[in-house]
Amino acid sequence: MTKPKIIDTDVHNAIARTEDLLPFLPRVWHEYWKSAGAGYGGGWHSPIGVLRSDAIPPGGGLPGSDPKHMLEHHFHKYGIDYGILTGSGILGISLNPNPDYGNVIASAYNDWLVETWLKASSVYKGSILINHADPQAAAKEIDRMAVNKNMVQVIMCSGSRMLFGQRFYHPIYEAAERNGLPVAVHPGTEGRGIAGAPTPSGYPTSYLEWHNILPTNYMAHVNSLVCEGVFEKFPLLKFVAIEGGIAWLPHLMWRMDKNYKGLRDLVPWLKRLPSEYIKDHIRLTTQPIEEPANNEQLNQILDMVDAGRTVMFSSDYPHWDFDNPKMALQPIRKELRQRILVDNAIELYGLNEAPSAAVTDAKAAAIKGE
Amino acid sequence: MEKTQNRYEAATVEELRNAKRLIVTVKGMEIGLFAVGEQFYAWRNICPHAAAPVCQGPVCGTRLPSLVYEYKYGKDQEIVRCPWHGWEFDLITGQHLVDEKVKLRGYKVEVEDGKVYVVI
Repeated sequence: MTKPKIIDTDVHNAIARTEDLLPFLPRVWHEYWKSAGAGYGGGWHSPIGVLRSDAIPPGGGLPGSDPKHMLEHHFHKYGIDYGILTGSGILGISLNPNPDYGNVIASAYNDWLVETWLKASSVYKGSILINHADPQAAAKEIDRMAVNKNMVQVIMCSGSRMLFGQRFYHPIYEAAERNGLPVAVHPGTEGRGIAGAPTPSGYPTSYLEWHNILPTNYMAHVNSLVCEGVFEKFPLLKFVAIEGGIAWLPHLMWRMDKNYKGLRDLVPWLKRLPSEYIKDHIRLTTQPIEEPANNEQLNQILDMVDAGRTVMFSSDYPHWDFDNPKMALQPIRKELRQRILVDNAIELYGLNEAPSAAVTDAKAAAIKGE
Repeated sequence: MEKTQNRYEAATVEELRNAKRLIVTVKGMEIGLFAVGEQFYAWRNICPHAAAPVCQGPVCGTRLPSLVYEYKYGKDQEIVRCPWHGWEFDLITGQHLVDEKVKLRGYKVEVEDGKVYVVI
């Protein structure tokens, strides 16, 4: 048995062509999907685009839309053993105004994911996409897809109409816990579709300004999850905060602890300091890693959040703000880097053994029709 | 060497029973005397957190540890809540309700001939 060396916890697999989803979508929704797409518009324009121009597959199409090319261009190039697929251009389906549409698109995507990616290579591990605007349907979808053991977590967009700790969402956590899967959130939909404004004071002006402030939504959701007692009610649940940064977390933990010492009677179901729930239940991913001028400051921040068990490497391939695993973690001291690069993800996702090269190549060849 | 302890007259039983709480000065220290049920307690009027006059905060009950979204009232009149940051202390044990390592400084209380003494 070979232990994995690198696990990438945020890899964006794109749908190559709109029609690719049709075989998995009920006929009654075909025209709507073809004309409307995921339908959670709005957002901020970046002059450099979101997708890396060097990641366009040789046959053309969207970066990240060719499983075979991604293996070579990303996984083999950097020696990455597993990638947790987080989807592309569809994550915000929870923010489409029509929850019935959100439900069928999430299901179609999940079936497409299994056929197109998870069967292409054992390197790829899936995230079950859910529509968080309909938690009962989301719970059913989790039960439906969790039977596939290559699905290793649940994913939903962090843009929302309400804070994620609230009881409205508990059926999602109950289903995830029942199936032994973490629930992950991914940013980028803040202020889009039917989500609330991306800040309590409204809308940032530019993509830069919007992108800078995304972590405030993560602070709000993590705070809510802990205060509402989600981790008391679902003690086995893990919650993965993808791509939301790290350095804000010590502040939040200390502020929550300080307030809890005086105001615990408002949340009598909490039995421990809020920061203890965070360290036990919240997981963070590295990209876009903070880059202080003094490397040691990054190590200190990581220590404050107990990164040896809470932080996992991610590249965000093939997005513009990609972190190279050979470069991005260099400021981190060695034993902690090892925990972040692979060990924490091994433990969270149960990926104890690296996929054998033979299996990987055979499956890749099969999908190519060789 | 054992410290010598003396007892100091601090109030009358009648005063304390009527007031439920008295702030007295004994040996130059402010002490909060509390009548909780039939029992008397004496706690130093300095909060271990930030040195606030803790004994002058509201005496109240609290919400007991409960399941998520359940609310259970208890410890009625057995809690003093620091007036500065709201920390709750159990008047019977002196313990902070969050961190059991944090405790009010307490003194033994003796009652004799209608008088309340604090042993320091």
